[in-house]
Amino acid sequence: MNRRDFIKVGVAGAVLPTASVATTSLAASVDQTKFPIVDVASLLEISPQTVLHFSYPDASSPAVLIRLDEPGTNGVGPNKEIVAYSQLCTHKGCPVGYRTQRKMLICPCHWSTFDPARAGTMVIGQASQALPQILLRVNESIIQAYGVNGLIYGRHTNII
Amino acid sequence: MSTVPLPPTDAEQFKTVCQFCIVGCGYRVFRWPVGRDGNSHPTGNLLGVDYRKQLPTSAPWLSPANHTQIVDKNGARFNVIIVPDENCSVNRGLSSVRGGGLAATLYAPDKSTNDRLHSPLLSAKQKQVVIDWDEAVDLGSRVIKAVIDRWGADAIGMKFFDHGGGGGGFENNWAVGRFFFSSVRTTTASIHNRPAYNSEVHAAADAGLVPLTNAYTDATLADTLLIVGANPYETQTNYFLNHMIPNLSGASQHEKLRTFGEEPTEAGRMIIVDPRRTMSVSAAESAAGKERILHLQIEPGTDIALLNAISRVILDRQWHDIGFIRKRMEWQTFEAYQRSTLAVDLSITTVIKEASEITGITPEKIYLAAEWIARPKQGGYRKRSLLHYEKGLIWGLKNYENVAAIVDLGLLTGNVGKPGTGISRLGGHQEAYVRPPYTGGRPARNVDEAVRRGEVKCYWVGGCNPVLTTLRSKAVASEMKTRAALVTVALDDTIGRPIGERVARIVDALKNGGMFLIGQDIYPTATNKMANLVLPAAQWGEMNLTSINGERRLRLYPKFMDPPGQSIPDWAIIAKFGKRLHQLYKDDRNPLMSSRFLDYDWGNDEDVFIHARYQFTGTNDDPMEGYAGVTYKLLKKLGNDGIQTPTRLINKIPVGTVRMHEDGHFFTATGMARFIFAPQPWPGYANKVLQQRRQFRFWINNGRANHIWQTLYHHQRIPYFQEHNPLPFIEMHPRDTAELSIKPGDIVEVFNDVGSVEAMAYITNSVKPGHTFMLFGHPKGSVGNLVSDHVDPTTTIPYYKGVWANIRRLRSEPELIKNMSFLPRNIAT
Repeated sequence: MNRRDFIKVGVAGAVLPTASVATTSLAASVDQTKFPIVDVASLLEISPQTVLHFSYPDASSPAVLIRLDEPGTNGVGPNKEIVAYSQLCTHKGCPVGYRTQRKMLICPCHWSTFDPARAGTMVIGQASQALPQILLRVNESIIQAYGVNGLIYGRHTNII
Repeated sequence: MSTVPLPPTDAEQFKTVCQFCIVGCGYRVFRWPVGRDGNSHPTGNLLGVDYRKQLPTSAPWLSPANHTQIVDKNGARFNVIIVPDENCSVNRGLSSVRGGGLAATLYAPDKSTNDRLHSPLLSAKQKQVVIDWDEAVDLGSRVIKAVIDRWGADAIGMKFFDHGGGGGGFENNWAVGRFFFSSVRTTTASIHNRPAYNSEVHAAADAGLVPLTNAYTDATLADTLLIVGANPYETQTNYFLNHMIPNLSGASQHEKLRTFGEEPTEAGRMIIVDPRRTMSVSAAESAAGKERILHLQIEPGTDIALLNAISRVILDRQWHDIGFIRKRMEWQTFEAYQRSTLAVDLSITTVIKEASEITGITPEKIYLAAEWIARPKQGGYRKRSLLHYEKGLIWGLKNYENVAAIVDLGLLTGNVGKPGTGISRLGGHQEAYVRPPYTGGRPARNVDEAVRRGEVKCYWVGGCNPVLTTLRSKAVASEMKTRAALVTVALDDTIGRPIGERVARIVDALKNGGMFLIGQDIYPTATNKMANLVLPAAQWGEMNLTSINGERRLRLYPKFMDPPGQSIPDWAIIAKFGKRLHQLYKDDRNPLMSSRFLDYDWGNDEDVFIHARYQFTGTNDDPMEGYAGVTYKLLKKLGNDGIQTPTRLINKIPVGTVRMHEDGHFFTATGMARFIFAPQPWPGYANKVLQQRRQFRFWINNGRANHIWQTLYHHQRIPYFQEHNPLPFIEMHPRDTAELSIKPGDIVEVFNDVGSVEAMAYITNSVKPGHTFMLFGHPKGSVGNLVSDHVDPTTTIPYYKGVWANIRRLRSEPELIKNMSFLPRNIAT
């Protein structure tokens, strides 16, 4: 897919309002915490294989947005292929890195690996829970983070 | 869950050790009444941590997996948090995926661990019925007595844990051993995962070595680590991460300088002998760089040929430790070893060429391995190599010669009893072996075969589940079930009748092919479901127990909660039977037999620990596990670093042993080590195995995996672990799955001349084409059902890894796999 093709797909996806509705209902049952709604990026900026670093729910919580080449659990975008995760490994808190070729998030400290297409489930490793997923929605072509599924490493509560 | 309650400043706290693998990581347990939580202010919680802020890397974070809620005997609810201990030298605050989830294994009435056994059960036609302890012990003891009196002690069969950690410990092992070996005196005994009562490392013992020679610190000091048939990232996790990896990455260089001074040192190298490219290989490469890791991806069952070829190169290059051999070894065994095992009458080219053809490893790699293990360093210093092995070797082609091959390589190079060296098994479970001697001799009696022949009239299975873990397991299960069912008929026919009549009817059933099956465990396992008498045991955390880890580190694992219902520690169950049998024989006016069942009146866990201790002298003669002079009080004081056994008594004070054989003493008649020689460099496949190999296409290698423990007895009840493996996985090469139209997650049938089993396909190039790797001992599918009854005739150890079978696709189950990941599990970068 070249850049021009992507733009077509991207625009088509942005005008579909259903994506955000579906994920909102899912999130409500997960966590009652009041999460901020944060604009992460414009859907148009997220070209294939994009890996975008941001923070959520606050500046001390690094997160990573990934555009996969397949639909991901709770994904948004035209093909539900845009997902985001806390970047802190749920083992000892080292920052995980996304390897595009591997399609996985890998922790450099003790090699726990996580599958971003499957809700951050651990592929192999020593973490005792999945990587917390940052819940996304699309609002007028803007990708917004609005919640977290799972407790972020190093926190007693996700909102501190 | 989006938060975890914090322990208040007055929470009860305990230091303990993980119940699972051999490494025995230290943990801290916090317990406090529900509703009295601490707060996130640093002065408001026991950890003194400011939980209002984002914690840095490697902080004492409380993960939801670290927490559970329990209920004590009085109905009071408590929060329990279990976190890795930063002050324990074994793991330094690291948890494995198994240890991180310890809290979820605790009994909780409103969680999925709530199906623990609560009371003794007696079999009946419809379903097992609850009985009280007195009735259970009386009936069981009367049957045992009747069997001994009529058929002799060997008609009592037993299969029991012999390990440390959860479900074991010195206390429970001593009670079990005393009962069966001193009191009943049967030789029809077997250890939890195999059909006989035997060491898995007879060859090491014959050479004069203990199974666990080194300290974990030696892995940080070695020049080269040799890992044969083991996958330490997954199954000895924090030994690998906290000790081996710092060596490979160069992080332990300062320790090497401090220990070895001017002796040249650099970051360590690792040789991994494994038919699979495991996560251990990838992680080691990531830490050390590919050029410092040598992965020898051998063909099945060819370890002996490979190890002996490496030894031959070392001998040929004169890199062997002639000083050690002359001073510390029986010289004549060296001559025999060279001539037979190393085939010195053949040219080295011939031997290495042949070894290369057998193993599939190029001669260059064989020479390189020899160089890494033994080529002297600059200045003439000997290489310090640490040799480790586990089930790939132990359960390999021929147990005795497999173990002999690595032991000989270690002795040839003098790699034992010095910092940075060792010849040790890596271990599966923890250890705590303390029992009176087994008198059955070698090769030990095969209990499965005795059951098959109807010679076992009463079979007592404790803390293990042969339905999942023995060879030809479906047939064994069916034999156990059929024979136990005959006893159930006798029990049903005599409900409400006097005890004498009931026992007489049971004996009639035993005469006609019946077998009184006793199951002792914490859960209703497949074995217990078919048992006539079920005895509920306490688990880790519900009693005080002691064990040693892979470097012989002895610690106390304290009781911090009540066992459910009527469950009691294994030793207490055994004590009830011992006391009852004493009385029954006394009533029978049989003083000889009644005196065999004396001294079961232990009052608490420590009484058993101290009772077992009497055999230790505190001198060089003690076995590896010797704990002369050690008390619970001392262990409490020593905390999670404990003391390394064997202890020597110096001025009556127990002093630990960091590494074995440092004094040059070996456990042989002469005190010198011995080479264990074999008739030729490689024995080849046994006929039965060879036939199966010729008949079936795929090699079904098998073993354990990172995120589950043994038969999943806990982990099948905990969603995080269960969801990873709803069925046993079978790793297959993409070329093979393409040909068989198998997709990731498909359910396949694996079948051969022994049996058939279902598994979930997992496509990966970690295995070679034609090779597979299947998870061992899963409740939904046991590899054991494909394993033939062939055992090493020298040791009665099965060739569990020697399975060949065909595979066909059955179906796909999209619902089952929709949340599962099928990405490769051996990627580190």
